[in-house]
Amino acid sequence: MFRLTLRGLVAHKLRFILTAIAVVLGVAFVSGTLVFTDTVRKTFDQLYASVYDGTDAWVRSSNVLKDDFGDEQRERISESLVPQVTAVNGVAAAEGSLRVDRAQFVDREGDGIGNPAQGAPTFGFNWNTVKQLNPFTLVTYEGERSRPPRAPGEVVMDRATANEGKFGIGDMVTISFNNRELPKDEFRIVGVSRFGDSDRPAGATIALFTLAEAQRVNGTPGELDGISAAAAAGVDQRQLVERIRAAVTARNVQVITGSTLVEERQSEAQQGLSFFTTFLLVFAYVALFVGSFIIVNTFSIVIAQRTRELALLRALGASGRQVRFSVLGEALVVGLLASAVGVGLGLGLAIGLRGVMKAFGIDVPTENLVVKPATFVISLALGVVVTFVAALLPARRAARIAPIEALRAAATESRHLGRRTVIGTVIAILGAGALFTGLFADAGIELVGLGVFALFIGIAVLGPVIARPVGRALGAFLPRWRGMPGTLARENAVRNPRRTASTAAALMIGVALVGFIIVMAGSLKASIGGQIDRAFTGDLVVLGQGGPGSSFSPAMGDRIAAVPGVARAQPLRFGPFEIAGKGNFVMASRPAEINALINFEPVSGDFAALGPNDIAVSEKVFEEKRWKLGDEISTTFPVGGKQKLTITATFERGQRELFSDYFISLAAYDRRYPTVADSFVYIGLDDGTSIESVRPAITKVIKQFPGAELKTAAGLKSVIETQINQILGLVFALLFLAVFIALLGIMNTLLLSIVERTREIGLLRAVGMSRKQVRTAVRWESIIVAVFGTLLGLVLGVFFGWSIVTALRDQGFTDFVVPGGQLTLVVVFAALAGVLAAAYPARRASRFDVLDAISTD
Amino acid sequence: MSMPAAVARPETVAARAVNASKVYGEGEAEVRALDHISVDFASHQFTAIMGPSGSGKSTLLHCLAGLDRVTEGQVFIGDVDISASNEKQLTLIRRDRIGFVFQSFNLIPTLNASENITLPMALAGRKPDPAWMDSIVATLRIGDRLTHRPSELSGGQQQRVAVARALVSRPDLIFADEPTGNLDSRASAEILNFMRAAVDDLGQTIVMVTHDPSAASYADRVVFLADGTIVDEMLEPTADRVLDRLKQFGG
Repeated sequence: MFRLTLRGLVAHKLRFILTAIAVVLGVAFVSGTLVFTDTVRKTFDQLYASVYDGTDAWVRSSNVLKDDFGDEQRERISESLVPQVTAVNGVAAAEGSLRVDRAQFVDREGDGIGNPAQGAPTFGFNWNTVKQLNPFTLVTYEGERSRPPRAPGEVVMDRATANEGKFGIGDMVTISFNNRELPKDEFRIVGVSRFGDSDRPAGATIALFTLAEAQRVNGTPGELDGISAAAAAGVDQRQLVERIRAAVTARNVQVITGSTLVEERQSEAQQGLSFFTTFLLVFAYVALFVGSFIIVNTFSIVIAQRTRELALLRALGASGRQVRFSVLGEALVVGLLASAVGVGLGLGLAIGLRGVMKAFGIDVPTENLVVKPATFVISLALGVVVTFVAALLPARRAARIAPIEALRAAATESRHLGRRTVIGTVIAILGAGALFTGLFADAGIELVGLGVFALFIGIAVLGPVIARPVGRALGAFLPRWRGMPGTLARENAVRNPRRTASTAAALMIGVALVGFIIVMAGSLKASIGGQIDRAFTGDLVVLGQGGPGSSFSPAMGDRIAAVPGVARAQPLRFGPFEIAGKGNFVMASRPAEINALINFEPVSGDFAALGPNDIAVSEKVFEEKRWKLGDEISTTFPVGGKQKLTITATFERGQRELFSDYFISLAAYDRRYPTVADSFVYIGLDDGTSIESVRPAITKVIKQFPGAELKTAAGLKSVIETQINQILGLVFALLFLAVFIALLGIMNTLLLSIVERTREIGLLRAVGMSRKQVRTAVRWESIIVAVFGTLLGLVLGVFFGWSIVTALRDQGFTDFVVPGGQLTLVVVFAALAGVLAAAYPARRASRFDVLDAISTD
Repeated sequence: MSMPAAVARPETVAARAVNASKVYGEGEAEVRALDHISVDFASHQFTAIMGPSGSGKSTLLHCLAGLDRVTEGQVFIGDVDISASNEKQLTLIRRDRIGFVFQSFNLIPTLNASENITLPMALAGRKPDPAWMDSIVATLRIGDRLTHRPSELSGGQQQRVAVARALVSRPDLIFADEPTGNLDSRASAEILNFMRAAVDDLGQTIVMVTHDPSAASYADRVVFLADGTIVDEMLEPTADRVLDRLKQFGG
């Protein structure tokens, strides 16, 4: 029996290959992502392990806050602790470290180097003079020897920046800082460095100064991020830490071992990657899900075509069980082979992903791909299980074929559409129910996912019921426009509604996601646009080129305020903090002037008089928490740790989601955060001054601060739209895989169908159908199926979009927009893709030898 | 019934094979299905081609109909040398000048009877002459079946629809490949009677391959093939004479 299975596979190579491709692509994507992740993880693990190799203990402040992106803001410590640590028995050497949060090199054209638009940081550090505590190494660059920075005004630059900016040792370079007193300065390059094996770790640019110089440019004299210590011979890390702990008595100081530090750094790097990995894996799973539809479809068609053969087997004494195992055996072999090929292809994909990362400015220095046994096991298991499960239903159908059917002429389609309607409707309703419960009853994202999944299945089950009427309607214009080939195309598209529906369902999934993303992006743009209109009452705004989140020196706001014609320049800063035990964001600006440029309405209390230990709270939160004016609320900030702030005012925030529910004054902000930088500067002009008349003067100021951009409200909207479009582009690129697999499915179905219709095509050719007309008929059949799947997908996608937007109404999705133009474009693309998918089957059908075709069994 | 084409017309040749050979394979495995055959098929005549299995009768029909190519010699439909025609020209000749009736699977399952009848004309982008269509449909008694799909028709009805399709575009000649091979004797007689009438009353030309002597007896002329050559022919055949002649082959 199993030999028969294998023979069947060999005899139908094409069918086998097409089924396999669907599995291969999905598995390749999964294994490629896993290999890439493991490789990057190992790279970073090794990198941190090697650069902190000489660090046995690390002394730092215990006051720390993490923001939503996993970046931590930690209070600095005094450099007066260094002698204390050095004096500890067992410490061979100890030295202070300081990171300059922003030290952006400026190229010869005056533009900042590094890619703030991608969020890659531009760091500065002090040069550690103790070699074993120094993660950086000097390299010889263009024949010139590097030396460490020894005096103020000297800098060592990372090799990638030296290459990119065409700098050489001995050249002068301008560096821009987030420092109010020292927004930028000139330095002499005395050396070029690497970080472990990396020219530019994780895309960050690196400037290295003497410690005193680092403190000066950062505006933090006498302060350190931490102190690293190397142990003397015979003292292990734990002993060293304990001795330092005993010796250093300052408050809010913590001592950890070097290996703990390495682990922390490694897990930070992994967290940064995990978002990316999860993102890729989700698309890989979508691709596999789509692929499973194709497997179901192929097996179903093949079994329908083999009905007589299988019935003959049954007549000759094979049991239903044996027939079922034969089909499942075929699935197993296909799944296993395809998964194996997929894993191999995944290795290539991992290399490709590294290229993509590099294109985004993130250098992943990998020599060898890390292929864990787990990757093999997971990928193979996924591929085999998906194929096997997808073949279960067709196998059951095959086992039910009665021996008598060997004697019947043609397989007739069973019609259980009534039952199907009920089942499909129930699944779809349950899915929608789960979706809404998840969204509106806050029952969790898992329920939302389950609901979406069930809706897909429900619609796929219902597909055959609606395939005939919808397909007919879609092809209604064809007989008139394309004559007899058009009629045949339409009739062929709907002659087997199950087949049409399950082929279309594969496309539906990818397109539903595309439609969903289009609706979400359109709604997001409209919502944010509306918020900007409502929130921003000033004339101009300055923001970082990286969008909200990137920041610049507070010196810029002061200088803009001094430009003639500018009435006021209002900075806006953001920072992570904890309030009443929960992590959140606080914003800071000048309370007295906030009204002038931002649509912000103080409600109760004295907003304008907000002091350094006061906080203003939005009405919404104020009421929710039943706070009263004068209440002292416990908060935690990076600098100073736990402390009480007094609620002295409330404000109406409404739907201005660009802002936070908590507001403090600039003075309050500056003493609670280690680094002070503006995210926005809102500019209001004197009455009667036009934007155009002051723009050149303001632009001239901003020119001094690389990375900052001047925008009008409309410009701000377009910046945000550009960012949304970028994300949209990335998502589409990934969804392309799912859509591509679905198109393979259409091609597969068409190929199997035309083989099934060989005699029919032969007859048509005999009575005078031209090859061109045959191609036209196949092509239009494909277009109908593709457009049918696309319309199903778009309806679902818009529905998903609508439910999510409605659920997030309170979180800032004020507008629900269905971008008709873009959705129409999707349909047009689907039709073109249908033409593409039909190309090979159409060609094949038109090339059938007429005589062979009419005499086929 | 209006039958404008029924009057006697001058005797012309509808199809002709000249020294035609068809060879499959090479060397040892060479099979000569047609061996230098020359034969004419007159217009307005009903000709039957007979012969034992492997005699080449189907190959001859296929080559004459432009479904297959001869390896040597020439084949003419009217004055056109179809052995020199390309695939495109052959398609047009089949569509516009030839009608087909096959043994089985004559109809497109997704089209109803009426659409199947007009299929070749629809492929050409032409409309059938309504009066002609009506008269064919009436003669074949399929008027009440026109909106039915093939799966809803009996075998005999399906073959009548196929005959109607072969006739509707008034082709130069109709090729029928065992048209009654799958039918019972009553349905067979109906079809053969109608084909006879198509020649007598409608002035059509039919070339039919059959191995059934009684089917051959409806023809004006029977051509006997054996081993790829024409071994005999018979005018005004009867079933008994054909049967006697056939017995001489097998021995």
